[in-house]
Amino acid sequence: MKPFDFYAPTTVDEALELMHKYQDSVSVIAGGTDLVLELNEYKATPAVVIDLKKIKELNYIRVEDGVFRIGAMATHASLAADQAVKEKVRILHDATRQVGSPQIRNLGTIGGNIAQSSVAGDGLAACVTLNADVTLRSVRGTRTMSINDFLAGEGAQKRNILAADELLTEISFPVPDTKHTATAFYKLAKRKSLAISVIGGGMVVTVDDNGVCTHASMRGGALGRYPMHFADCEALLVGKKLSYAAMLETLPIMHDQILEANRSRPWSVFYKKEGAQGVFKKLFADILGQLGIEEVQE
Amino acid sequence: MNKITVHCTVNHKPVAVEIDPNKRLLDMLREDLNLTSVKEGCSEGECGACTVIFNGEPVTSCCVLAGQAEGADIITLEGVSVDGKPDVVQQAFMDAGAVQCGFCTPGMILTAEALLAKNPAPTEEEVKQAMSGNLCRCTGYAKIVEAVLLAAERARGGV
Ligand SMILES: Cc1cc2nc3c(=O)[nH]c(=O)nc-3n(C[C@H](O)[C@H](O)[C@H](O)COP(=O)(O)OP(=O)(O)OC[C@H]3O[C@@H](n4cnc5c(N)ncnc54)[C@H](O)[C@@H]3O)c2cc1C
Repeated sequence: MKPFDFYAPTTVDEALELMHKYQDSVSVIAGGTDLVLELNEYKATPAVVIDLKKIKELNYIRVEDGVFRIGAMATHASLAADQAVKEKVRILHDATRQVGSPQIRNLGTIGGNIAQSSVAGDGLAACVTLNADVTLRSVRGTRTMSINDFLAGEGAQKRNILAADELLTEISFPVPDTKHTATAFYKLAKRKSLAISVIGGGMVVTVDDNGVCTHASMRGGALGRYPMHFADCEALLVGKKLSYAAMLETLPIMHDQILEANRSRPWSVFYKKEGAQGVFKKLFADILGQLGIEEVQE
Repeated sequence: MNKITVHCTVNHKPVAVEIDPNKRLLDMLREDLNLTSVKEGCSEGECGACTVIFNGEPVTSCCVLAGQAEGADIITLEGVSVDGKPDVVQQAFMDAGAVQCGFCTPGMILTAEALLAKNPAPTEEEVKQAMSGNLCRCTGYAKIVEAVLLAAERARGGV
């Protein structure tokens, strides 16, 4: 590792002052499961490292006025163990409980997962499917935006709009009404543990009292630079009575979209399109079961 | 680069280590505190050989900066034995033949200790889940799982 100075502030304001002072020469460290490896391999060479672990005000999971509010420093382990998340937001429960290994989940944070904005980020894919908001803070103030806008990249390295002196502080989204809304995540990987997602599929569906789909969100993590947005599949579902048959009708469109997006990497297409369809069939069955609409036996 | 002083509890004793901040917890434990049971395997968080118990939870010490250990309670294999004698988990690993080359063993035992501290009666599936971040390249998993279940049973007063 290149030498650096180390700070461990205990408040967000203190951290923001330091980040503002050192700008591009700063790396903040949360769980370290991405950053320490990059430091160790000289892929990251900051002059200053600021530890976020001592900032208690960034570590929380709470429900306030119908909104889930999750501090950036909440770990994958704490999210996977949270009862409210498990009951109300299956997508986030299922994404975080499968990250890496127990050791990695004890260290790694949801904020780090989103800030890293890796193509295979499972927490990221879940939050994108939920269309969660993210809150960013700097000495200039606070801004809150949709995670989809957050991911607007500028250039090859920069995958999100975080400024050098800006901290991701919170992820928030309305508490799903589980009578009408179901959420699901399915990770396709080479092993059960310690495996990066080959595909991390996320789905959110809302139906009205007659079982007609009023909202659908379908995303495929690790299929492209950002969780792939199956907008045409979603459009096909909205307005229809939700059923397995109706959901299966989206698969040919998904197939074409993956084919199109992977033209430059034709060797991966066959596997990815087959894999994605398998992943989404699992998600359909999960969603239909949660909403009590249909039991699908695969 | 300014040195930092890390105050933490290691194996039940308070320590203060003056250290360069560009060292990992793994390096601090091995090089500065001479706790060489902590093994460096992959250096990428994958293999679990460098596992230590950090505030009650198993973590890979290759992913933690030394400075992040400020105020933490850390247990390595050296802190597990009682009066120089193997504790129940160590004894079970020996009795079940769960040690082959031994390189993964400290991490395995610490992960098992953290599991049993929280869940004294785990199922086989729970043991496998809990140990899924520790790799053994001698591929002796069956006996490792057996050892953890045996330790649990003995600790509860059976056998
Ligand atoms: C063995 C192993 C297995 C893994 N498996 C998975 C997996 O299955 N799925 C998956 O999604 N990921 C996986 N990862 C990647 C990693 O664990 C996750 O991305 C994790 O969530 C990163 O969080 P962290 O807190 O450790 O981030 P850090 O490493 O501390 O930080 C990551 C980056 O984000 C920045 N950052 C962190 N927090 C903030 C903040 N609040 N504001 C602004 N910037 C911030 C840091 O500066 C750094 O650039 C794995 C990693 C390892 C080593």
